[in-house]
Amino acid sequence: MTAAVSTPGASSSTVEKVPLYQGSTQYRHWRFSPEELVHTRVSLNAAAVRVIKDAFEADSLGSSTAVAFLDANEENLLVKLYIGKVSQLCGHFRFPEEVEATAVSYLKRFYLKNTVMDWHPKNVMLTALFLATKTTNHPISLEAYAHHIPKTAPSDVLELEFLVAQSLGFDFAIWHAHKALWGIWLDIQTLPDIRMDELRDAYDVALKHVRESRLTDAELIYTPSQIALTCFSLASPSLASAWVRSKHTPPASPPTPTSPPTPTSPSPIPETDILELIEPIKSMILQYGTMPDVEAVREVDRRLRLCKNPEKIVGSNAYNRKLEAKERKAAEKRARKAALARKAMEEGDPFGDTIGPQDLDDDDDDDDD
Amino acid sequence: MDAVEKANAERQRRWTKEAKIGEGTYAVVYRGREVATGRKIAIKKIKVGQFKDGLDMSAIREVKFLRELKHQNVIELLDVFSSKTNLNLVLEFLDTDLELVIKDRSLVFLPADIKAWMAMTFRGLEFCHRNWILHRDLKPNNLLIGADGQLKIADFGLARDFADPGYKMTCQVITRWYRPPELLYGCRYYSTAVDIWSVGCIFAELMLRTPYLPGETDMDQLKTIFRALGTPTEEDWPGHKKLPDYVPIENFPKTPLRDLFTAASSDCLNLLSKCLIYDPRRRISAKDALNHPYFFALPYPSHPSKLPKPAKKDSGGHAALEEVDGNVDFTGSGPGVKANPPNRLKRKLSMEDGGSRSIARRLDFTAKS
Ligand SMILES: Nc1ncnc2c1ncn2[C@@H]1O[C@H](COP(=O)(O)OP(=O)(O)OP(=O)(O)O)[C@@H](O)[C@H]1O
Repeated sequence: MTAAVSTPGASSSTVEKVPLYQGSTQYRHWRFSPEELVHTRVSLNAAAVRVIKDAFEADSLGSSTAVAFLDANEENLLVKLYIGKVSQLCGHFRFPEEVEATAVSYLKRFYLKNTVMDWHPKNVMLTALFLATKTTNHPISLEAYAHHIPKTAPSDVLELEFLVAQSLGFDFAIWHAHKALWGIWLDIQTLPDIRMDELRDAYDVALKHVRESRLTDAELIYTPSQIALTCFSLASPSLASAWVRSKHTPPASPPTPTSPPTPTSPSPIPETDILELIEPIKSMILQYGTMPDVEAVREVDRRLRLCKNPEKIVGSNAYNRKLEAKERKAAEKRARKAALARKAMEEGDPFGDTIGPQDLDDDDDDDDD
Repeated sequence: MDAVEKANAERQRRWTKEAKIGEGTYAVVYRGREVATGRKIAIKKIKVGQFKDGLDMSAIREVKFLRELKHQNVIELLDVFSSKTNLNLVLEFLDTDLELVIKDRSLVFLPADIKAWMAMTFRGLEFCHRNWILHRDLKPNNLLIGADGQLKIADFGLARDFADPGYKMTCQVITRWYRPPELLYGCRYYSTAVDIWSVGCIFAELMLRTPYLPGETDMDQLKTIFRALGTPTEEDWPGHKKLPDYVPIENFPKTPLRDLFTAASSDCLNLLSKCLIYDPRRRISAKDALNHPYFFALPYPSHPSKLPKPAKKDSGGHAALEEVDGNVDFTGSGPGVKANPPNRLKRKLSMEDGGSRSIARRLDFTAKS
């Protein structure tokens, strides 16, 4: 947008020049340094343990001392297992890659806001995947979806949908490394002296690495293009370098190390720097990009059964107490509103701009639905 | 309370809901305020409980895209929160929309005004397209107008991204009168050009003060288009006879736009004609439209604050009745009229409230999937 903007009259002074990716919710809300990520998980876990301990104690004094709660790493291990299950399910349904990648991102993000001790990833995974089919525009009916999953009723999936959407902060759009990889693949085809068969093989291997990267924290730390380039580089260092060189035009403005490249165009920093930048991503993918040891996870899951938040277990004392408290509060709110409505009727102008009885009726949907 | 629930409650407390101002197909809209600043806002409350597949696709699309888009000419989504089973979108408050402006026969449009509205529309649309987002439902009542005169593209309930070329899409989008011929012919692979056609129709409507191509059925829509612009030949639009729903339609001659738009400048008609090119591949892009000589020629676009706007509704309401009485019975002339013909449809006029707006809307027989 250039000239038309500078015409008098309708000209606008605030036309965005920020690269698209940097305006995205992913860039603004879901990128962390490795330290931040650890800190987020550890403090979330500590807070969860505190709350659940209290719930145990409220049930019967001293009952929490014998419980071995999960730590942040153990929580993460369990989530990782279910990331792998997303992939299996997607294969079963033949969902496109975008659905799978989106569901995985949702699952990871969910557990940056919640603990597995409140919500088991087995259930959250199913809801995250169902939500992902919709947000990526590949919707399937809930009935058909639940029908294909053993021991799952439609209501199991729906019950958590709001919680999942809320935990995501309603940030549904995801920028994926596999799309960035596709972009690189298209770019490389246009370079001189490229052997197509070699490129195709490299792409296949790189895509495999992108899938492995989904089992790691890479997407919470690095940009999709950085991950894609890393994967290409793992598959074919020479092709990756050739691409970086082709993209490396003399910087028009000083490089800004704080703003990573967008998924479609890498930042104009020297080739060596870029290749150095991806080293930690490489080791992350190679070290963590595999399914966790099933036995280890089984042990975690066994312990989870003993340290689950009792307030989330339907039918437990703690659950019932919490439910009662909630209902009491709702009843109080309704009574308050009814009183307000009466008051408004008595003294208010029914056609006035202030809150009238009718508006309160509308509002009541929130309580009665 | 869970951290996620708590965060949601905190978000909710930042906004007040005052009075119901409108109702759409799947939402109720309230006027409200930002508690901290007193700024006027609109809250669009979507009832989720009623959908058997959970969060419905329109709501998901609207949230997904508006979370990512921030531009002066795209409606701003300020916040999202949930209350019980409702999803609440907090939107910037916008006084009116382009449909109401067009229909308000007490307003006179200068060529500079039309140019300003078109510039703002193209600017918002160019931003959407740059972000790989198709709107797929552009029409005057989805172009909202703020107190400062800024036009904002709204209602992203049918939007989708198009980053994957060659992905099959539904042709059941866009309200009929603004739907391009390729969709009427059942084309499933389409792109940004569909939105441009809609903008072309809106452009014409701004000059005519009545819908340009008001077909009565999908079949009649094609006929209406061809009657106005001539039946396309293979040369005009290579390959259109092979589209899935192609049907031969009688041969209408091409009549110069000049015959209908007698007062328009030649730049203006040139841009209009480029928006209404049959071959989607040759139709102008939003970016090129912004650089079209029309926007650089005199008169320059009006400043947004100087644009004509329906009078503020007054709380009494009797003025509105008079106005409606005075205007409901006019009849328009058939197609081919030269000057601004009064509309053939019975219409609510400038002083209406939100309620009658949706009545007026129902007259346009929207055909959404
Ligand atoms: N941001 C806003 N500011 C002020 N009023 C608004 C705003 N958004 C919507 N409204 C009002 O609420 C009404 C309903 O809007 P909504 O977007 O839900 O549906 P619609 O576009 O009218 O209909 P449909 O859902 O059938 O497309 C509008 O006609 C308008 O009067």
